[in-house]
Amino acid sequence: MLYPAINEVAEDGSKLITVIYEYKVTPESVSPHALCYFSSCSSWLPQRVPLRGSHWQSSLLEFRTSLPVRAQPKKKKKVDVKKEQAQKERMKKKLKKLEKAAPELIPIEDFITPLKYSESNRVRSLPALSPEESERRVLLLKKWCLFKQKQDEAEKKAIKALVESQQEALKELRLESEELYQAAVRRDEGLFPFERDGPTYTPPLPGYDPPEGKCIDITKVYTQ
Amino acid sequence: MARHCGVMAAPLARRAADGARRVCSAAAQRPWKLFGAMCLLRLPRITQPLEKEEEEVAALMEQIELEKSHYSDHEIRKLEEEEQLRRKKESLYDEDEARGKTVIMAQDLEEKWEQKFLHFKAAPRITEADKSNDRKSLSRKLDSNLMLLVKQKIGNQDLWLLPQVEWQPGETLRSTAERAMAMFLGDHVQAKVLGNAPYGIYKYKFPRAIRTENNVGAKVFFFKAYLQSSDVPQTELKADYLWVTKKELGDYLKLEYLKKVNRFLLDL
Repeated sequence: MLYPAINEVAEDGSKLITVIYEYKVTPESVSPHALCYFSSCSSWLPQRVPLRGSHWQSSLLEFRTSLPVRAQPKKKKKVDVKKEQAQKERMKKKLKKLEKAAPELIPIEDFITPLKYSESNRVRSLPALSPEESERRVLLLKKWCLFKQKQDEAEKKAIKALVESQQEALKELRLESEELYQAAVRRDEGLFPFERDGPTYTPPLPGYDPPEGKCIDITKVYTQ
Repeated sequence: MARHCGVMAAPLARRAADGARRVCSAAAQRPWKLFGAMCLLRLPRITQPLEKEEEEVAALMEQIELEKSHYSDHEIRKLEEEEQLRRKKESLYDEDEARGKTVIMAQDLEEKWEQKFLHFKAAPRITEADKSNDRKSLSRKLDSNLMLLVKQKIGNQDLWLLPQVEWQPGETLRSTAERAMAMFLGDHVQAKVLGNAPYGIYKYKFPRAIRTENNVGAKVFFFKAYLQSSDVPQTELKADYLWVTKKELGDYLKLEYLKKVNRFLLDL
């Protein structure tokens, strides 16, 4: 049996192979190539160094004297498969970690003032507020507060009256006939979504020809 | 004389708890007649004028906004050009530089925009119908809701009412109201009825002369709808019609009726 031993790589790059043979190595069995190989290991000469295809190959000349190679591919497969699986799992773990991390927030462009607007030359120069003016402002805001409160109360009262009126009508309807009541209380599917264009300051001008033009939307769209 | 002898003998299931009216026989008559009325609203097309406080506060808000703001690009350009003009008048250094620069100044641009604005004539807020008080037209009072009123014969009187029609068995009250609307405005009216439920009710008893045990009075159920189409073709039926605002309702409707109708109309 042949037992290959340590593969040593010498400093000058040439391979130094020592093979321990169980049987006696006779000078006849050692090939002349090996001899000159050993002799030239000290100096790097550009010779065609006959290297073995694999360390399983016992001699340089012979081609197929290798140990039983049936086990090799199987081992490779197992190891490879395992390695690949381990790699895949590592990748998945990394992906999960990335996904768990909070997504980058979309910047709100309205809240970020561009730097050019904070320059000093941009500051407006206006006369300071007089005490009468500030007094007037405060009093006006108080009046506004009252006005809005009254407006809100009136709205709420109107809505309450509306609801009461409807409840009364439904009560009377129920007294009349249950079937009509059920028909009235049913949800109206066609009502929502309800869309309407709000009022403008002036009514639409009949026969108005708007100027030609294209509206190009340049809003930035961010994706998560 | 409109003596309604219609027998509303529809075998409808009633609540068992309602002991007063029980289905005695198939020919049970309900003592109250049912009517479905439609309150058709034309929504406002222009904004309402601001109140005094609102105007004052709007002006104040604008002023505060101006005080808190910085100069815009256009304003900076204007200031720089004013500086240049001033320097040109005082000294003659900038003349050679100015020739290479732009011919249009910010001030000129502003004047150009102002001219363009003055050239444009918007449609008037107060229309001719307003001036002539033509209550039949839809372009009157563009900033408030307009309601349809028709003159109908009830009993032996001609009254101004919201269009109503008697309920017939087999239809819901909403479809009765829609039928009433179609009767006075034609089939091709685009209106959005706001829901299946009635908004209000007006109950009245017939005068003692026509009142019988089975024919006590009538209940009018009101429904609300928004007019979608901007104009209604003038092919109205022979009945007189009007488009009025909430304030003008008092000129036409009877007091009790008006009270009930006002409850479900928002102030506009």
